[in-house]
Amino acid sequence: MKQKENTNPAIELNGLTKRFGDFIAVDGLSLTVRSGEIFGLLGPNGSGKTTIINMINGLSKPTSGEATVLGHNIIHDTRVVYAALGSVPQETALYEELNAWTNLSIHATLYGVHRSGRDRKITDMLNLVQLYERRYSRVSTFSGGMKRRLALARALLHDPLLLYLDEPTLGVDVQSRRAIWNYILDLKKKEGKTVLLTTNYLEEANALCDRIAIIDHGKLVALDTPINLKRRYGDTVMEIETASSVSAQLSAQLRTLPGVSEVIQKDKILKVTMSGDELSVTGQLITIVTQEINIKKISQREPNLEEIFLSLTGSGLRD
Amino acid sequence: MNILRFFPTYRSLLVIRVMAIKDIRSSLTERAFMITSVIIPINFLLLFLLFALTGGQAPTAIVLEDKGPYAQQFLSAMEHSHSFIIQQTTSVDAQNLMKKGQVVAIVTVPDNFDSLLRQGNQVQLRVVLNNLNVDFTNDIRRAVPLAITSFYANAFPNQVVIRAHEVDSYSHDTGYVQYLVVSLMVVSVMLGGLLQAGSNAAREYEKGTIKELMLAPASIWAIQIGKILGALLLNSLSVVVMIIVIVFLIGVWPEHWDELFAFVLLLMITFVALGALIGTLIRRRQAVIPLSIGLSTPVFFISGAFGPAVWGDQVTAAITQLQPVYYGIANFQHAFHNFTTTSTSPAIDGFILAGFAALIVVISALALSYSRGRGDVH
Repeated sequence: MKQKENTNPAIELNGLTKRFGDFIAVDGLSLTVRSGEIFGLLGPNGSGKTTIINMINGLSKPTSGEATVLGHNIIHDTRVVYAALGSVPQETALYEELNAWTNLSIHATLYGVHRSGRDRKITDMLNLVQLYERRYSRVSTFSGGMKRRLALARALLHDPLLLYLDEPTLGVDVQSRRAIWNYILDLKKKEGKTVLLTTNYLEEANALCDRIAIIDHGKLVALDTPINLKRRYGDTVMEIETASSVSAQLSAQLRTLPGVSEVIQKDKILKVTMSGDELSVTGQLITIVTQEINIKKISQREPNLEEIFLSLTGSGLRD
Repeated sequence: MNILRFFPTYRSLLVIRVMAIKDIRSSLTERAFMITSVIIPINFLLLFLLFALTGGQAPTAIVLEDKGPYAQQFLSAMEHSHSFIIQQTTSVDAQNLMKKGQVVAIVTVPDNFDSLLRQGNQVQLRVVLNNLNVDFTNDIRRAVPLAITSFYANAFPNQVVIRAHEVDSYSHDTGYVQYLVVSLMVVSVMLGGLLQAGSNAAREYEKGTIKELMLAPASIWAIQIGKILGALLLNSLSVVVMIIVIVFLIGVWPEHWDELFAFVLLLMITFVALGALIGTLIRRRQAVIPLSIGLSTPVFFISGAFGPAVWGDQVTAAITQLQPVYYGIANFQHAFHNFTTTSTSPAIDGFILAGFAALIVVISALALSYSRGRGDVH
């Protein structure tokens, strides 16, 4: 079933709030997911990600606010939204006692895929995720990665405009993870699909997402591209391994340098976050450190999302 | 509310079909649950049947010290009283049987039984009673005087001036087992339906596959009706086995086969839908099994299983009329024995049962629909 092209934003959340008694799970969340982008929703466990997703896909009614998907209000146009939405839940929701073909066939009927092209579509999807040879095997005999791939094939079977992936590579080996990433990137590149994903893996969000929303305690903490988020935190992180422990005095002196936003000292490792003209700052920094102590190793890298997340929320992702 | 949305479109029919097939296939791969769902209702039927067979009549030893015609006539009166399982034996063997607990009573006909009767003298029948079980004890206490009366009426017809003139409502008697087995079938259909549909519905939540159904742009009514249909077809396996046992092994032949099939279908729809409702609400198969058994047993006892419910106390009779097993038993008794056990006609009882079936199907679909927006499907 080919969906009509939709020029509306893929998802619009406007003051979305969900209360469970006195507990506010989602607190006045407003954001927009553009059509054709890969959008990441990041947050520690209990931050409200699942509740947000459940309100987007209509499994939970908001206490207040509004969620529209492809221009349709999820409460009023539930079936229209469902037809345009492909979903890969975290637990895959596959009928593991049945074979791969039957799983896709059931999905095709539920989603109204026309009977005339159904077998071809199922074949195409199984080929896409390289499971055609195993089409008559019970899903219970599949590895975690194969199940994820099958769930992805199922979600794509009815040609959705918007694909929602909940922790798409959770519990998947490195090889399968790479394969799944490639499928997701191809969905955007070749088919122009909008992808909404939640993940606990910052590396994954960094590799896949055009934009990332960081959620904590049901509130939007930050929303930007991975590059801008890193830039906001600092352009460069320099890690200096010294021969002996660094004095607190030296750390304080480094903090006064222009462009240095953060200095973290842990045993013999000094982590300095910098922004702006890094070359001039780097030179000064090395000079000051070598006056007091011998340097064993210097490395320079981009800040990672873990560091950004920590600075924004004050807690790690897996708290 | 747009009434048209309740009528299935072609696409909804396809959804109903695929859900039914899916549930049948899933159930067949889980043999332990499948066997449980078929075996437990049949086991229930056989268990209560054995209870009835073993508990219906009191095992009694009779010692005939006199072999005369009156003594033989008395033995015959006891045998036709429908109250004893008679074992004719010697005095010594009777004592041994009593010691081993194999008989409840020993009735001794003295060696001068015939001569005393001929002389018009009083006869003392010695009845040794094991009064451990008051139920059997009272059976003996009631049945021995009845046997004496019956004997007297036959042996000395001129001396018995009061006689019961029996007018039977039905052309033939129906045994206790033959009556009970029909009620047992109703409750076994109930148990089978609850187990099968309850397990199918709960499995979706246990395995997380409910999310696939909840997020599908398909009618939730079609999904639930498909699940009910799948459970119905699976449940029919145990129902067919039950009908074979009742008709061919126990020998209870239905008077109205058409009624039997119609009421079996209505009853199956009712309880399969109830099972789907329970499974949707409870969401755990391990909880569905004890709840199904726990629900079926008391309902069986209050619904007129052993005799028409209206013969019991008024409060119980009023309560039992609020639930479908009462009408199921009434309909089945009519289908098998042509009995009318309620104050309403079999047709009215059938309509009421159909009403229950429709109501529970609707509630079951609403329950699934409600869980879509509740936000607790993960």
